[in-house]
Amino acid sequence: MLAVPAALTGAFALLPLVYLVIRALERGPAFAWGVVSADRTAGLLGNSLRLTVVVVVATWVLGVSLAWLTERTALPAARLWAVLATLPLAVPSYVMSFSWLSAFPGISGFTGAAVALSLACFPYVYLPVAAVLRGADPALEEAARSLGHGPWRTFRSVTLPQLRPAAVGGGLLVALYVMSDFGAVSLMRYDTFTRAIHTSYRASFDRTPAAALGCVLVLITVALVVAERRTRGRARYDRTGRGSARPAQRMPLGRAARTAALGWSAAVALAAVAFPVGTLCYWIAVGNSATWAPGPLWEAAVATVGVAAAGAVVTVLLAVPVAVLSVRHRGPLARTLEHASFAGHALPGITVALAFVFLAVRYAEPLYQQWPLLVLAYAALFLPLALTGVRAALLQAPESLEEAARSLGRGPFATLREVTLPLAAPGIAAGAALTFVVIMKELPATLLLRPTGMDTLATRLWTHTDNFAFAAAAPYALTLVLIAAVPSYLLGRHRP
Amino acid sequence: MATAALLLPTLAACGSDSEGAGSGDSDNGQNADSGAADTLTIYSGRNEELIDPLIEKLEEATGVTVSVRYAGTAEHAATLMEEGEGTNAGLFISQDAGALGALSKAGLLEELPAELLDDVDAAHRGTEDDWVGISGRARVLVYNQELVAQADLPDSIHDLTTEDWRGKVAYAPTNASFQTFVTALRVIEGEDRAEQWLRDLQANDAEVFDGNGGIMDAVNNGDVEVGLTNHYYWYATAAEEGAENLDSRLHFFPGEDPGSLLNVAGVAVTAHGGQSEAARKAVEYLLSEEAQKYFAEETMEYPLAAGVTSPVEDLPPFESIEAPEVNLTDLDSLEETLALLQDVGMV
Amino acid sequence: MTDLSVRALTAGYGKAPVLDRLDLDIPSGRLTAVLGPSGCGKTTLLRCVAGFLRPADGTVTVAGRIVAGPGRHVPPERRAVGIVAQEGALFPHLTVARNVGFGLTSLPRAERAPRVEAMLELVGLAGLGSRMPHELSGGQQQRVALARALAPRPSVVLLDEPFNALDTALRGDLRDDVRAALAATGSTGVLVTHDQEEALSWADHIAVLRQGRVAQHGSPQELYAEPVDPWVASFLGDAVLLPGRHEGGRVLTALGAHPLTPGSDSRLTVGTAVLRPEQLQLCSAEAAPVRGSVTRVRFHGHDALVAVALADGTTVRVRHPGPVSVVPGDETGLRVQGAAALRATAADPPGAAGGPTKKSTDRPPRAGLPTG
Repeated sequence: MLAVPAALTGAFALLPLVYLVIRALERGPAFAWGVVSADRTAGLLGNSLRLTVVVVVATWVLGVSLAWLTERTALPAARLWAVLATLPLAVPSYVMSFSWLSAFPGISGFTGAAVALSLACFPYVYLPVAAVLRGADPALEEAARSLGHGPWRTFRSVTLPQLRPAAVGGGLLVALYVMSDFGAVSLMRYDTFTRAIHTSYRASFDRTPAAALGCVLVLITVALVVAERRTRGRARYDRTGRGSARPAQRMPLGRAARTAALGWSAAVALAAVAFPVGTLCYWIAVGNSATWAPGPLWEAAVATVGVAAAGAVVTVLLAVPVAVLSVRHRGPLARTLEHASFAGHALPGITVALAFVFLAVRYAEPLYQQWPLLVLAYAALFLPLALTGVRAALLQAPESLEEAARSLGRGPFATLREVTLPLAAPGIAAGAALTFVVIMKELPATLLLRPTGMDTLATRLWTHTDNFAFAAAAPYALTLVLIAAVPSYLLGRHRP
Repeated sequence: MATAALLLPTLAACGSDSEGAGSGDSDNGQNADSGAADTLTIYSGRNEELIDPLIEKLEEATGVTVSVRYAGTAEHAATLMEEGEGTNAGLFISQDAGALGALSKAGLLEELPAELLDDVDAAHRGTEDDWVGISGRARVLVYNQELVAQADLPDSIHDLTTEDWRGKVAYAPTNASFQTFVTALRVIEGEDRAEQWLRDLQANDAEVFDGNGGIMDAVNNGDVEVGLTNHYYWYATAAEEGAENLDSRLHFFPGEDPGSLLNVAGVAVTAHGGQSEAARKAVEYLLSEEAQKYFAEETMEYPLAAGVTSPVEDLPPFESIEAPEVNLTDLDSLEETLALLQDVGMV
Repeated sequence: MTDLSVRALTAGYGKAPVLDRLDLDIPSGRLTAVLGPSGCGKTTLLRCVAGFLRPADGTVTVAGRIVAGPGRHVPPERRAVGIVAQEGALFPHLTVARNVGFGLTSLPRAERAPRVEAMLELVGLAGLGSRMPHELSGGQQQRVALARALAPRPSVVLLDEPFNALDTALRGDLRDDVRAALAATGSTGVLVTHDQEEALSWADHIAVLRQGRVAQHGSPQELYAEPVDPWVASFLGDAVLLPGRHEGGRVLTALGAHPLTPGSDSRLTVGTAVLRPEQLQLCSAEAAPVRGSVTRVRFHGHDALVAVALADGTTVRVRHPGPVSVVPGDETGLRVQGAAALRATAADPPGAAGGPTKKSTDRPPRAGLPTG
């Protein structure tokens, strides 16, 4: 019965693909094939994949190590480090890249792109892994210890396998982010697939090659999503034990270990948060374009929060039926719908934005350049973020409760409303918070689809940096980080 | 400016070339009162800080209520193409000629009346008479006067590939303006000669920079002798730091050398926006003395109409620039240029 | 008259059906235990009845209405079948009262609170309505789950091993209270369990499930006295199984000659004789017709189980009331009282695949089974 709304979500998520195929085949399949099969395309694809692999591995190391330190060890001020570990979400990847480049110009190229993207993306791994560590039953680890495994071996043989689905799911989001990112690779001058797409728009004002290349990105996305699903296997991850679990005991740290743990946490926070924020402050301090205009700043902040909140709500609403279907009714349809919802996430924002321009002008003219369309575009872009969160939350809600509700006379929708959703609410809220933060810094779709005259913090930031008015841009970037810190903080506290 | 240099590629990604610093507070928020005959929606690929102050004056002068959507030039061009006949835009302000040429080819622009076109030199408007330039920028060689004597300055970009200039030239191959210049070189001198020049430049140990800002800084500091860049970068820097404090100066290549290419930012009326009347009034205003002076002062670019001469100090008269004869509409093969730059290994 | 009737039910998850053309009638107003080892299909049966699983074939009739059958699948919420799940499955976000009132949507609002209070009183939790589930003990949670299931007056209440997770001391009381509550509401109760003791002591009727079919169905006494085959005999209580021969209305075994139970097939000449350990008595070796040596003594307080090895090597178990005077190694005599059932020897002997397995650790040990 949920198949109808879920199918609607799937169809909605595939809208950009419809556009992509129409555009790609505009000049015949031969032309599209020519673009796709060019030697250069393969080279760029190789570059993109190389970067993706390195960044995913780096985010695993960063995300898992920090999650373990903040959740399972007696790290001093663990709460603070936990918040700092989620804050990079609020830093646009090009601000991250810029701050690194300004300090280490030699870093540009592959290294720079990998560093900037790893630092910008590791919260995607940190958040789900930390949540699992918070919620996981310590009994398993205690059993391993009692069976003679040392702490490190226990971590490797018991804890790590429990983290695998969360880490792999986070890694998928990171991979898709890297595949579709343009800001960081452009600043770092590392030639990737997305740069080829942007070049097509920018150099030849031609959308056909861009669309053909976009189709390749979608195929890669499908492959990545399928690969991730394969690793999920058939294991269960809901708690089957009774009652509420004891929180796990934190591992005491010796003097040297504490110093090392603090050093590592601090180094990551410095690189991923303090560095970009410091750069923004530096812009304000040295620039002479610093015109402190609270009016536009306030307006942009309000507009940003408004569209990001609307976007997060709509995205989550669209994600819920697909997530329920995929968790409760595993089957080919559910799988297809879930895969479909990832379509938009691997595409550059501008491609998705143009898809919505194309469709709205033809079929939904009244919505064009109105905020509802912008909100829908956000949903198409970030559906996987919400879906991943909602899905994880639903996995934790025991199915027996839904069955109890059904046997007490509730239909499937009433059960969803009165039992499933209230139980999954914290996880769903976490998914919404993540989506909210990411929407806040979205630029290309916002630029093209926003209502005339509306500015978000991201568009203001762009206006000023486009004009080299960095000091004027910095307050917008700082406000962005500050506002995003609130949901980031809440995300860091969420326990499944 | 170091900051500027670093951010350039991203900004270029947003489809715009750089401009001089804008000024003044922005006050956006006019919403289109759609349907009325005297309202106009503008898609601007030029920066809000630059365009916004002009809009109030434009409204005053023309009686048209204007709302502006800002984004990169390339984004706007792609949007206009997707919108096709369903566009809301009456007027498109473009950062460069290439986007206007592409829209013209797609048949999305409306022919402008002769009285508007006549104001601007034929070289600075579309061949189909459907767009017109509103400001111009010249390619130049910036040099450090402590390191290079005026007499030793090159006469042509071709001199830069000789042994005399080994390791002394800065350029920014990822910058859109440099790429437009290479396109012009290909159109003027042919593919083979263009490729040879690029290879020679590279072989001559010319130094790669991320953007024009970086070149300007490096030449000023004496890190490198000369650099290929756009003229207004120097004037923007001079305005901020004082020309007397700068070691760098500009050199315009003589004799219609491709190195003195003149590119323009332009404006066009859309064919399907249904706001022709209001849009034409806006074009008329943008070519007026007031607007032309404004552009010249704000961006240090060359005014192109109304007989306005740039009020910027030290800027060589427009007429004195011996720009190459090349039709800007023909500079729409940027993709081939990029392929060439990639073959050569510059990007 | 039955409230629940299952005909030719075939269902499963993969290709191999878990339920194989199962037939079962549950008498109204009585408590029936569906008993079987794990994997026998009892949970699948429960899910088919509740409506969570669509059977491949067959029909399920609840209160005279076909709820599952060819081309028909009534959703769970319209079956009027209550469920008490293993772990209670209380909604953790609702108070106890709201949990109990959850199924009362069709009741006028004014009548809900009294009904909830009445149900809580019935299960002995009056006044705890405002608590949250996690503030209750495990036993209390199960009582709430029962109250919740009974509140909408379902035709049938399914209890899915609801006492499993509780400690032994709590179990007995809760079992009695649940029985009382079900009786008080006149409900038809179906308890799904793998615990034979629980089934014997709790239910009015027992249906033993084995490999997807009902092996035997009847009152606990019937099943205990006349198990249909050696497998049921050893699954339901302790059994002494010996090769037996029918001769002139008596069964001859290594323990002597015993009268045949009324339910035995008199045409059967050779088979397995079924005796219960309490039918065997220890006596002094000299006077006894049968002798053996004591190999093990397990003392339970109220009685003791004594394993005795006979001369031919067979070991039998004797339930001896009160204190035991023998120790391992002693010679002892054996005497048998009462009748023996003679059954065809099963193709698959007890203990082989599909036979009873010992899952629960708190079940009495069954040393002395022929297979040990």
